[in-house]
Amino acid sequence: MKATRVFQITALAMVLVAAVQAGYWLYDQRSSAMEKVRDVRTLYTQQITAAQALLDSGAPPDQVRTMMPGIVINGKRASLSPEVDQMLMSEERRRINQYAWEGGFFLLALAVCNGVIFRALRAEARVRQEQDNFLALVSHQFKTPLASLQLSLETMAMRSLSPEQSRTLIDRMLSDLARMEAMVTQILESNRLERGRIDLKVEPIELGGAVGRVVAHMEERAAKEKITIAADIARGMYVMADPLALDVVVRNLLENAVAAVTPVGGGTISLTARQVNTEVELSVRDTGVGFRPADGARLFEKFTRLHPGGGSSYFGTGLGLYIVRRLMQLAGGRVSAHSEGVGQGAQFVLAWPVAPAGPT
Amino acid sequence: MSAPTQFFNRILVVEDDPHLAAGIVDNLRAEGYGVQALTAGQQALDWLSEEQCGLIVLDVMLPELDGFTVCRTLRQRGDSTPVLFLTARGDPADRVTGLEAGGDDYMAKPFHLQEFLLRVRAILRRWDWYRSASATPASAILHFAGNEVDFRAFRARSWNGISQELTEKEAMILKVLAERPGEIVSREDLLEKVWGYDVFPSTRTVDNFILRLRKRFERDPANPKHFLTVWGVGYRFMIEGES
Repeated sequence: MKATRVFQITALAMVLVAAVQAGYWLYDQRSSAMEKVRDVRTLYTQQITAAQALLDSGAPPDQVRTMMPGIVINGKRASLSPEVDQMLMSEERRRINQYAWEGGFFLLALAVCNGVIFRALRAEARVRQEQDNFLALVSHQFKTPLASLQLSLETMAMRSLSPEQSRTLIDRMLSDLARMEAMVTQILESNRLERGRIDLKVEPIELGGAVGRVVAHMEERAAKEKITIAADIARGMYVMADPLALDVVVRNLLENAVAAVTPVGGGTISLTARQVNTEVELSVRDTGVGFRPADGARLFEKFTRLHPGGGSSYFGTGLGLYIVRRLMQLAGGRVSAHSEGVGQGAQFVLAWPVAPAGPT
Repeated sequence: MSAPTQFFNRILVVEDDPHLAAGIVDNLRAEGYGVQALTAGQQALDWLSEEQCGLIVLDVMLPELDGFTVCRTLRQRGDSTPVLFLTARGDPADRVTGLEAGGDDYMAKPFHLQEFLLRVRAILRRWDWYRSASATPASAILHFAGNEVDFRAFRARSWNGISQELTEKEAMILKVLAERPGEIVSREDLLEKVWGYDVFPSTRTVDNFILRLRKRFERDPANPKHFLTVWGVGYRFMIEGES
């Protein structure tokens, strides 16, 4: 990493020196070309003077014309032939043009090189910074369940507990382990999404059926927290999406909604869908803790957790909504979040392109 | 409002992770402490404006209002309840921030249960000692060289009539020294009594606090008469002043 950086910085410096050198070369060649044309003109001027001296001394004009073909004689006056004058002027222009084009191209190529290396350096610095931040955040996210796990184990080792108390601690530890496992899965998933290693296969999907399967999976868990999930989606509504990605985004949004409703002691999560022009929108509305309207966009950033306190079953990794947004972007869809404020519930809207006609 | 004799043994736990909070609360209760558990910084500040406790176990990364801000706000309010920070960020810079914010101790997650309980006991013991050492009207007020120190109110009036607000550490150091007038008190003794073990990296911290006390109470801080350095050992406090 360090060697690459040294190489890039050296290359940048060399390209900069080459650009300065090329600039100087261009200036020098132009000056030299103009000087040569000036020299030729001086020679012709000397010929004119000599021709005029010969004419003045009585030499026949035809003889002078033969001796000096670039000179025209009008009566007793010698001057430069218009053809030669024209030739000199066009030669001067040709050379200047040639150097301007060659030098300009050379400078442009060097500028492009410079730009490419500079961008690579900047991108690398940004990636390094992001990696540092990511590592710091990931280790922080892991330390809390780890601390809880250690505390439970040490409590069991240190105290004589009743079977009920032991059961509570075991459940707590299993839940901590599940939390860490979910974190690992989500971190790997977000990493793959970030590096674009997820290959989505977009195809027409019947939205009602796909959402229904996720809801069925979540209903029991939600019921334990006194949460009702109501899905009212008309059959036959097709969207262009990847089936696995659709499953992940709907599941993540439902998990998020359960986490938001649990702290207020239960409520409702309602799912509805409608077609708007060329898109199908799926709305997930909950009666949970909500958030400040200004935080709507921040929710989709990595490691954002807004729920104050959280509920007894809520252990967000801060990656769920980030994954939702990335998957939606990759599938050509979008997601947005709305809330009237803390305590006012929230609404998440997923939008996919509508499938032209059902499955082929 | 709880009975004033009970609040010393009550601990407020402010931790937003439900499992960790439950583990801490269960263990503190098993040790015989009364425990109040809260999950957010503002909640803690609201609770503390109505109630009292002997110690606050405070998570740093709390939603909205972080632990450092909560501690600073408490100190600005004049609340000197000891604070033990719990945090996933264990680097030295954070540790210093925590102690500068007015914390008494700092533990990085994950932590050992027995060490946690030891530290809780150590903080409560230090404060218990301080309270009992300032219990009677005679021990609560210290007069020396025109200075007057009220240990219970953490206030003082210096020889030139200026009112001083003492930090709890300054008051504790002064209390340790005033308990043993004329005797040599080592830096290690002061560290142990006032901070407990391994919180600060060096005994230089004690020297800095002594400098602060000299500035507050000595007529000529550069030539101290009451807070005397015993080179290589520690400090000696002279009520009458060294001639």
